[in-house]
Amino acid sequence: MTDAIGVPRPRLDAPDKVTGATRYAADGWVHGLLHARLVLSTEAHALLRGIDRDAALAVDGVVAVLTAADLPLAASGRDRTAEPLAGEEVVFAGQPVALVVAESEAAAEDGAEAVLVDYEPLDAILDLQEAMRPGAPLARRAEGGPEGPDLGSVHATVDRGQEAEDGEQLSGNVLDVVTRRAGDVAAALRASDAVVSATFRTPWVYQAYIEPQACTAWLEPGGTLVVSTSTQGAFATRNEVARAFDLPLDRVRVVAEPLGGAFGGKFALVEPLAAGAALALRRAVRLVFTRSEDFLATNPVSAQVTELTVGARKDGTLTALSARMLVDRGTNAGWGLEGTTSLLVAGPYRWEAHDVRGYGVQTNRVTFGAYRGPGAPTAAFALESLLDELAEKLRLDPLELRLRNAVVEGDTGIAGRPFPVIGTVEVLERVREHPLWTERASLPEGEGIGVAAGYWPGAVEPAAAVCRVDRDGTMTVVTSAVDMSGTDTTFAAIAAAAFGLPVEKVRVVAADTSAGHYAGASGGSKVTYTVGTAVLRAAEAARAKLLAAASAELEIAPGDLEVEDGVVRAIGAPERSLTVEELAARALRFGGRHEPIEGLGGSAQARGAPSVAAHLAHVRVDRETGEIELVRHVIVQDVGRALNPALVEGQMRGGTVQGMGWALYEELAHDEVGSLATGSFLDYAIPTAERVPEIETVIVEVPAPDGPFGAKGIGEAPVVAVAPAIANAVAAAVGVRLRQLPMTAPRVWTALRDAGSPASGT
Amino acid sequence: MIPAPLRYVRASSLDEALEALAEPDARALAGGQSLVSILKLRVVRPSVVVDIGRLDLRGVESGDGELRIGALTTWAELASAPELAGPALAAVAECAASIGDLQVRNRGTIGGSLAHVDPASDMPAVMLALGARVVLRSAAAQRELEVGDFFVGPFTTTLGEHELVTEVVLPVPAPGSGSAYRSVEHPASGFALAGAAALVGPDGARAVGVTGIASVPRRLPDGVDPESALEGIDVYGDRFAPAEYRRELARVVVERALASAASRAQGERE
Amino acid sequence: MPELALRVNGEQRSLEVEDRTLLVHALRDGLGLTGTHVGCDTSQCGACTVLLDGRAVKSCTLLALQAEAAEVTTIEGLATDGELHPVQRAFVEHHGLQCGYCTPGMILTAIDVLARDPRPDDATVRHALRGNLCRCTGYQPIVEAIRAAGGTPP
Repeated sequence: MTDAIGVPRPRLDAPDKVTGATRYAADGWVHGLLHARLVLSTEAHALLRGIDRDAALAVDGVVAVLTAADLPLAASGRDRTAEPLAGEEVVFAGQPVALVVAESEAAAEDGAEAVLVDYEPLDAILDLQEAMRPGAPLARRAEGGPEGPDLGSVHATVDRGQEAEDGEQLSGNVLDVVTRRAGDVAAALRASDAVVSATFRTPWVYQAYIEPQACTAWLEPGGTLVVSTSTQGAFATRNEVARAFDLPLDRVRVVAEPLGGAFGGKFALVEPLAAGAALALRRAVRLVFTRSEDFLATNPVSAQVTELTVGARKDGTLTALSARMLVDRGTNAGWGLEGTTSLLVAGPYRWEAHDVRGYGVQTNRVTFGAYRGPGAPTAAFALESLLDELAEKLRLDPLELRLRNAVVEGDTGIAGRPFPVIGTVEVLERVREHPLWTERASLPEGEGIGVAAGYWPGAVEPAAAVCRVDRDGTMTVVTSAVDMSGTDTTFAAIAAAAFGLPVEKVRVVAADTSAGHYAGASGGSKVTYTVGTAVLRAAEAARAKLLAAASAELEIAPGDLEVEDGVVRAIGAPERSLTVEELAARALRFGGRHEPIEGLGGSAQARGAPSVAAHLAHVRVDRETGEIELVRHVIVQDVGRALNPALVEGQMRGGTVQGMGWALYEELAHDEVGSLATGSFLDYAIPTAERVPEIETVIVEVPAPDGPFGAKGIGEAPVVAVAPAIANAVAAAVGVRLRQLPMTAPRVWTALRDAGSPASGT
Repeated sequence: MIPAPLRYVRASSLDEALEALAEPDARALAGGQSLVSILKLRVVRPSVVVDIGRLDLRGVESGDGELRIGALTTWAELASAPELAGPALAAVAECAASIGDLQVRNRGTIGGSLAHVDPASDMPAVMLALGARVVLRSAAAQRELEVGDFFVGPFTTTLGEHELVTEVVLPVPAPGSGSAYRSVEHPASGFALAGAAALVGPDGARAVGVTGIASVPRRLPDGVDPESALEGIDVYGDRFAPAEYRRELARVVVERALASAASRAQGERE
Repeated sequence: MPELALRVNGEQRSLEVEDRTLLVHALRDGLGLTGTHVGCDTSQCGACTVLLDGRAVKSCTLLALQAEAAEVTTIEGLATDGELHPVQRAFVEHHGLQCGYCTPGMILTAIDVLARDPRPDDATVRHALRGNLCRCTGYQPIVEAIRAAGGTPP
């Protein structure tokens, strides 16, 4: 049993993946398949006056050109499930307006080119701060008033404004304001020995999963709509598809295919398009986004402006935090990140007073979506940069400042709830003793070390799982959790350890919505914590069945039996034993006398398990070109329990490198009319092997009380504080502070020049 | 993602290729790393694509103080060609080894790249500094041009409609020369934000070619100090890298390329 | 429609393609070899990498007809008699993958790299992977897997 947990093992699906046997969403063969291509809006805000399909329909191989009116849409609302193709109003450049379906991908592409769209341009609101001012053009026209939609919308193009609770005048583009206040911030700042303030800007950032979004949908002869898709959540997708077309849940079957990366971007965005086409045409339709379409028309995470002020006393105690956080939603009216980011801006630290306000603002850009730790990297960039500045002003060690204020279990967070078990102190103490930190003073000119810490609160959602023993004595674990981070491999280890089988005898199946057991979408850092717990309990329940059967066969009480390595033995009398295979064979046959050895387990944790990850970044800055070289990097993370250290390190490194992309390279930039200017990998730089260093991973284990064997979700914490660690390292190296991401070479060069750097040649 | 409909013709001889290229709206396909990329984005829609990839235009030959490089020689072949070893022509292999990526280097050709002359491509700067010539063949004739006269604008050369680049001719620099190539790449595309190739002779004479900063790669006027020479160029800027930054980058890469070329000229190991 | 004849994974194959068909689509749709993946449309991600006459190339940046009479190796052609190729085995053992979408391309590029030099150093491998993008792993276990496959101990 000890052999299954805590041992680095390759992923169960690795052999299939390295041989090309894995079938991703675009790979399966389907009889009579048609292929779809999108027609995307070229206007950021416009009325859709007409779509001329004639030329497209004349293209050889084109079967149909579908618009919103052609899909059997039945949901109300303006979100991308209810409105997968634009209705009367186009609200972002890149919005799908039509779907061309053809016998081949090439024909679909030929057809999509030939579709003519007539737009009547409207004022586009693109600037986040402009969008908030009363009188700003609305990004989306309000729904019609009593006079009917047209007149109502005319009145509602220019915003009437709204008033926030303290009299702040805001436009109708501000969809949500979150306020978190406690204590007297003004007084606390006055009483502080150091106060620092700055404004931080982060851009739109693209998840850039290497597998573009892909979905195939068809109707089975009996009327079930099957949706085979690259998604993070089978049941969540089923809900959205059913809602889109007003279908009963049991008429929709979602099959989650192996995921080629998602990182938050694959949540039921594209299925309504393929499903709508399949329903409209009664044919199987496959929609595979081209990379260009994926850049334009999916759901990247959005830009943010954070105005932050923090104060401390001279002994380093943090006093007050005041923040105003403007969060661009694009045209996503359904949900926002202002709540999360306004919580996370406090970091894993104690504050005596706080006043945080988060605004969710719509603009004429693509609907934003989630990207690994959404709302956290943006908040941490601001906070962790200013903490270093506070330390500098107070002449304190920046790590000691963080340690002095690090939250522990029971401390109240700014949402008013106590923190559960959290490893802030343990992580920071490990950072403190790392040679990269202790030897940071002895670096050559132009090099520096920076530190930063971040956390992700983790999430919870009920889950269920079944562990089923087959006649050969092997076990099959059944969930419907999408394996994004290697969780299937972890489930096998959990089940093996809890049941008493060698891990090689356990396989894991993620079943579709018709036969799977409930799991929420994979994301939020909860799969190991929640589904893993369900698997653990399912294995224990199966073990109880095993022991009941063994007890009957051996005539020994279950309490006097143990299970190890696939053998059930009498404790203290090992010669009295039966193998799991023997017991299964006696159960699973005609006339068998024991129930099948299967167990169902469920979980519903009340609280999430947060994970803290701190970073040490060693940079070398080329003053002449502004290029930042990442020389070395260390991540220290509290993971609860590393059930499979190889998988845990994979998340730590992968999240760290994504954070390096945030820090140095990644920005979705738009032009002055709202079109995406960086819509391909020619312009949008994700980190390459050459540009990232080796990353040392240090695992700290502070067991999560409610997680399987003390484990918890750890996939998002690694990305949170990378950018400020690098920014702090740049400040240490060359004395300039960058407050905008990404810290591109031109921006670094400009900052050095403005600071009067000797090497800048001016 | 998928090219517009086109007709594909595979040429098995130079004459066949030139004849096929005489058709209206025909394009030559060598390694395809530039052409297939723009076909896929439907930026160009030739009616005929003439695959010249199997013609016998590969390899490096030396003689008469010159190297003759077949137009279809790939970057990978150039990066490891023994004829290009040594300090004098080091810029060629140094540049070839850093163009694009490993897969691109296995297919991309010197002739294809020079004929395409992307204003941010690397090898044109090296050819300019080394005083290279291109050999152009048509059905009726053959001519040679200095690359400086061949590159005339963004993606524009003086290649005639019915001509092909068949060879690149490199004068071998005098013994005691050194050359180098330095660039700062755009982190996404890998193209040069600013790139400079330098040739330093045994007497200290210098020749510099620059790319990435203007509408066409160009040779800096000989004998003028680089900073003044760059002042005479209308430097291009964009949202990512504004003109004043690029101008400064150009100065830096020119300086670094010259320093490296000079130390190679002196036989110093870097 | 023209007929393309070539050797794929050691077998003589022939299939109909359009003049404009890209090699990656010919392999995936024409021959059902879906292990070669499409990840972008600007020839950068490398998920479509195959070996063409022994050299790694991006199959999305070739017209299928350019590969007439050539020898193509895809990811499906590496294992022999159920035995993983050393590079495949190294990727499994050194955890050089997570979602696996970039993996076939990485493996084929690795084979080209190791054919030139079986003991490349870290910097050489990282430079050689410029044309293969990974979003999951942070590259380090991939570099280790490639060096281990060539015989460099971890």
